[in-house]
Amino acid sequence: MSTSLLVRSSLPRALAHRAALRSVAVQARANSTVSEHKYVAGGPIPKGGPNDAVTFPPPSPTHGSYHWVFERTLAAALVPLTAAAFVTSGTNYPILDGVLGLSLIAHSHIGFDQCIVDYLHPRKFPILGPASSWTLRAATLAATVGIFQFNTNDIGLTELIAKVWTA
Amino acid sequence: MLSHKALGLSTALRQAAFAPRTLRNNALLRNTIARRSVQTKTIPAGPAADAILNQQRIKRPSSPHFTIYQPQLTWIGSIANRVTGVGLSVLLYGFSIAYLVAPGTFDSTHVIEVVRDLPEAVKYAGKFILAAPFSFHAINGLRHLAWDTGHFLTVKGAYVTGYLVLGATAVSSVALTLIK
Repeated sequence: MSTSLLVRSSLPRALAHRAALRSVAVQARANSTVSEHKYVAGGPIPKGGPNDAVTFPPPSPTHGSYHWVFERTLAAALVPLTAAAFVTSGTNYPILDGVLGLSLIAHSHIGFDQCIVDYLHPRKFPILGPASSWTLRAATLAATVGIFQFNTNDIGLTELIAKVWTA
Repeated sequence: MLSHKALGLSTALRQAAFAPRTLRNNALLRNTIARRSVQTKTIPAGPAADAILNQQRIKRPSSPHFTIYQPQLTWIGSIANRVTGVGLSVLLYGFSIAYLVAPGTFDSTHVIEVVRDLPEAVKYAGKFILAAPFSFHAINGLRHLAWDTGHFLTVKGAYVTGYLVLGATAVSSVALTLIK
């Protein structure tokens, strides 16, 4: 009884079994049509059959761990930058002012991007998601140029906040 | 595609299979392990079945989750961090883009003039409305960085640091508002 069990559980048969299953699944995916249902707010976006596996984005350290490290390093760097900006003035330390402005805009961009990924993911919003991403990039570019112009042609960010606060 | 499945006590079977030879011919063992064998056939669902299932999925409601979760310091603090961050960033982006588009209207002298001519109460209220989100976001950011280095990652840690952040935010907001 036990020896027959050992004979039955052979590795080649298991591999052939798996290969057969995989070909059936590929067939099923090829046969299933893309759903043409209108999206209902809060509802699912059925693509393919209900038994198709969830697709995942390709793993990449640029969008994964490097992004995470950069985000935290930037946030940590903002702490001494802001403290320094509080105690000095923009006119005396214009480079500090510029670095603070750039860091704040980069930090804001990353924050906005996380909101888009959380609430307007392209998987669920195939048009609005990417549109928001590109709008954000354009806005970040415009804001960077604007801050640069303000720091160059005007009194600078820290000086403005100081003067408006004590106006 | 047919597959033979052995239903029943598979773990017991495995143990019996690898038990020492003296135990294998045990009549007791043979009688306690029941084994049946069935044939199963996989029928992959075609596109018609998928269409029906997808129609059901569209109509199927989801149970309340976000609307019924009890307010807690953990997630209220988290969403407050995001809301304050987004608010401050919208202000920063708004001003930068406004200055880029219309530098004559939004240059520093005009802005300072407009603010100076506001009544005192409005000035204090405005300063508090700016100081409170900034203080909360900055101090809660420190809490986040502490978590990222592996500290306070317990329920107790989250609550203790959370209340500390709230207290520090209150003190900081008042202090910043009162700067003349």
